[in-house]
Amino acid sequence: MAEPGRALPVPTPETKHFWEGTAAGELRLQRCDSCGKNYFPPKPFCATCGSRKVSVFKASGKAVLWSYVIHHRPVPGFKPPYAIAVVQLAEGPRMMSNIVECEQTPEALQLDMDLEVVFEKQNDTITLPVFRPAKG
Amino acid sequence: MWENRCKIVVSGVGYSKVSRMADIPLAAHALEAVKGAVADSGLEMSDIDGLATYPELPATGHAEIDGISVVSVNCMMAMLKLPNLTWHIQVGTTNIGGAVQQATNALLAGVCKYAVVWRAMHNPRGTYQNLPGAQAAGATQFTAPYGFGGPGQGMAVAYTRWLEKNNQTRDKMATLAVTQRKHTQHNPHAYFHGTPLTREDYFASRMVAHPFCLFDCDIPVQGAVAIVLTTADRGRDLKPKPAYLAGYGQRLHFETAGRIGSLSSYMEGGSSSAKLTWERSGFTPKDVDVAQIYDGFSASVIYGLESYGFCKEGEALDFIQDGRIELDGDLPLNTFGGSLGTGRIHGLWHIIEGALQASGRAGSRQVKDANVSFVGASAPIVTGTTFIFVSEPY
Ligand SMILES: [Zn+2]
Repeated sequence: MAEPGRALPVPTPETKHFWEGTAAGELRLQRCDSCGKNYFPPKPFCATCGSRKVSVFKASGKAVLWSYVIHHRPVPGFKPPYAIAVVQLAEGPRMMSNIVECEQTPEALQLDMDLEVVFEKQNDTITLPVFRPAKG
Repeated sequence: MWENRCKIVVSGVGYSKVSRMADIPLAAHALEAVKGAVADSGLEMSDIDGLATYPELPATGHAEIDGISVVSVNCMMAMLKLPNLTWHIQVGTTNIGGAVQQATNALLAGVCKYAVVWRAMHNPRGTYQNLPGAQAAGATQFTAPYGFGGPGQGMAVAYTRWLEKNNQTRDKMATLAVTQRKHTQHNPHAYFHGTPLTREDYFASRMVAHPFCLFDCDIPVQGAVAIVLTTADRGRDLKPKPAYLAGYGQRLHFETAGRIGSLSSYMEGGSSSAKLTWERSGFTPKDVDVAQIYDGFSASVIYGLESYGFCKEGEALDFIQDGRIELDGDLPLNTFGGSLGTGRIHGLWHIIEGALQASGRAGSRQVKDANVSFVGASAPIVTGTTFIFVSEPY
């Protein structure tokens, strides 16, 4: 039997657009058409003002590293130590992710470093957005 | 100031045995703690007419089985069969501090006379954080696929940012772990009573979730604590010297994505709750003689000290140095050992210690001439509940 892999998302009607986006190579966020706030995670209403006039848009994929934790305990699908990161997207919202193509050490993980999204295909329906140091 | 200040008191307190594993049902722990608190007050069980708790299972991914992994109000009612019960509640937000505040409100409203509040904490067998397995549903679909599974990791993310932003290193946190373990040696009910900790132990310990090492995390245990609350006029006639509640505050706050609190969200949660407590009691941080600040993970103390106003933002790790938080220091802190010393029982033990210090009942760890006793009963990043107890009405 194969080793159990990482937990994979189960899309819901509210989050379907996001996972369809990553499968198509797009990072899709939402924007409130009433107050103008960009937000994540997906919701059918704006958590800031309560408006239901919201739309989906394609984000730039640019981010900075807000913070991280280097996890040292075993978790299926990961080889400890590995970093769990929180990135600040150029459009405003924060998102949890992993940092790839980068040593998983405090020395390499510089806060506020520029990042760019890459899409890691997990199976036919699920693609995860992860981030790597920006290549300029 | 609050018109109800010093009208409610903490009277008796009680503890169960704290064990590493679930050798006996959690209900037995809760019952032992509740009986202990009632006996400490010198009351009969039939005097108790109010019950409150916060029955959350702190570990994730396990079944909630009443009496085994949680102890609900229903479970306690069935065990106690109180003949005079008139009021009960279990709160869903604001953790156990919220249950104490609700009991306070019920006593002020006159709908009960003697309320018992307990917190019972389960340590499941096997993996503490039982991750969602192959499927990450609901909110976890944006966290679990990245290997995220527990509140400690969330606290650590904010701590990494705090350290970096304030040009600090985690070395200074050794002072908190070692000082609190020293206090623990004065608390016979604590899990780590009889087990000292040195700075060398701290630095040699393994990383759990960098920047947290093993001794930055409270150890999961099975156990319960309880208190009796009543009105001041009734409390004065009971066996122990009462601790008067001078004021309280609460504020729920965290960002939604993976329960990752930002630095601004902990400042907002903690300062909002503390502001209410300072205003209602009429005190300021400078008036405080002794403080208990929730320390499920060590960084929570930083967030507390700064957001409650004991020191400026970015200064907490310097603030705790040079003996300041020792029993004879300027601000004796977590004098019962904190959760880092007692084991993971959440904030009710902080409230117990705040009351014991105010009433002069803290034994060999009693802070000399303690009057104004502050409690931050849960992490301000999640649910800021804060309290001030005093020795005498003013
Ligand atoms: Zn809006």
